[in-house]
Amino acid sequence: MIKPVAYFKPDSLAEAVEALQNENARPIAGGTDLIINMRNGTENPGLLVDVKGLDELDVFSANGKSGITIGARVNLNFLIDDAKLRNICPVLGESALSVATYQLRNRATLIGNLCNASPAADMAPAMYVLGAGVVITGPHGERKMLISDFITGVKRTALGKGELVVKVEIPEIPDGKMAFLKKQRCRGHDLATVNVAGIADPAAKTLKICIGACAVTPVLLKGTDELYRETDNVDELADRAAELARKSIAPIDDVRSSAEYRRDMASVYVKRLIRKICS
Amino acid sequence: MKEYSKIVDIRVKVNGAEYRESVPANMTLLHFLREHLMLTGTKEGCGIGECGACTIVLNGKPVTSCTILAAEVDGSEIHTIEGEAKNYQLTDLQQAFIEHHGEQCGFCTPGFIMSAQSLLDRNPNPSREEIVEAVSGNLCRCTGYEPIIEAIEAVARKKS
Repeated sequence: MIKPVAYFKPDSLAEAVEALQNENARPIAGGTDLIINMRNGTENPGLLVDVKGLDELDVFSANGKSGITIGARVNLNFLIDDAKLRNICPVLGESALSVATYQLRNRATLIGNLCNASPAADMAPAMYVLGAGVVITGPHGERKMLISDFITGVKRTALGKGELVVKVEIPEIPDGKMAFLKKQRCRGHDLATVNVAGIADPAAKTLKICIGACAVTPVLLKGTDELYRETDNVDELADRAAELARKSIAPIDDVRSSAEYRRDMASVYVKRLIRKICS
Repeated sequence: MKEYSKIVDIRVKVNGAEYRESVPANMTLLHFLREHLMLTGTKEGCGIGECGACTIVLNGKPVTSCTILAAEVDGSEIHTIEGEAKNYQLTDLQQAFIEHHGEQCGFCTPGFIMSAQSLLDRNPNPSREEIVEAVSGNLCRCTGYEPIIEAIEAVARKKS
């Protein structure tokens, strides 16, 4: 059973921030992680601040390639169904489609997935390769940071007391192919054993690859632009990127996989990703 | 500091009927439906959003009612399995489940009906793949899924 908790639905962002100053207050949007954790007793907030009604969080814009803004209220099925987004930035919908089930995706939000900060978060790798930033509001005003600075460890973020992520901002989308791939024990709503996202821009010769579930945070590979510039051969590029991936990650043994298997699968999935986005 | 209440007043429309209730903030929507409104057609399976037995339609979208608090749904419109058949007349989908043996023990059936009806409402002519995707969040331990998918397909064919 869920322990007794107070509930408050603020009418404004300022009211939400004020309520979040309370000891043990937690914001709730989709609640698909939080409510389960409360049921398990792994999280026991004293006050839930329901941010679903706030206009500032209910924002979405995707204007051509010039950038995308996604508010904390936007759920994952929206990212899958939006035709414009599918055209501009398909990796978001592809990632979202791998998360949980249709019913849960009607509640679960992109920003909830990021704030939950699971190393295996399926929405995170795409955010890293897109260079997304989070916009945070709190008692000391607004601040912005890169997703790679925001997620700091297993279930840890840079959010301070009383702070709230309002939206995610994705800068200009590179021209080229992008993809998300996920290794899971069974097809369905299993968590990722390994997940990878990538974007290759053949004109600018930039290549971004991020691997999830293989370290305490998702790992954005360093040096992939150089690899992309050094070879035109896709197989060679795939092999070299896979080798780079093996060296860059620090997987552990857990319920879903051994560290050794994760390392092998990270290598396999990076190769598949390269063949998909660089061919 | 302001005081915040552990009891929340909500107003909801369930299967067309208006309710104004006071609920504890830690009560899930599932328990509100089953134990407050006595609408026990919606089932509790896993309680953690994985099995889909508690699927209901909230503001036109299927969701798992075990991962939602009753406090969160103030002002919402909810449809449960009790709202499907009217005047002892089963819906086409319910009838198809019977004809295709889409249920055995029946525990998962209300959740399947809500997911599948919601699919047919937003897409009257879904492909088999779309049907499978739409009910992939509903687990059935008896039928092996085939008869369920056939039942949904039969209704889709009839409509198209």
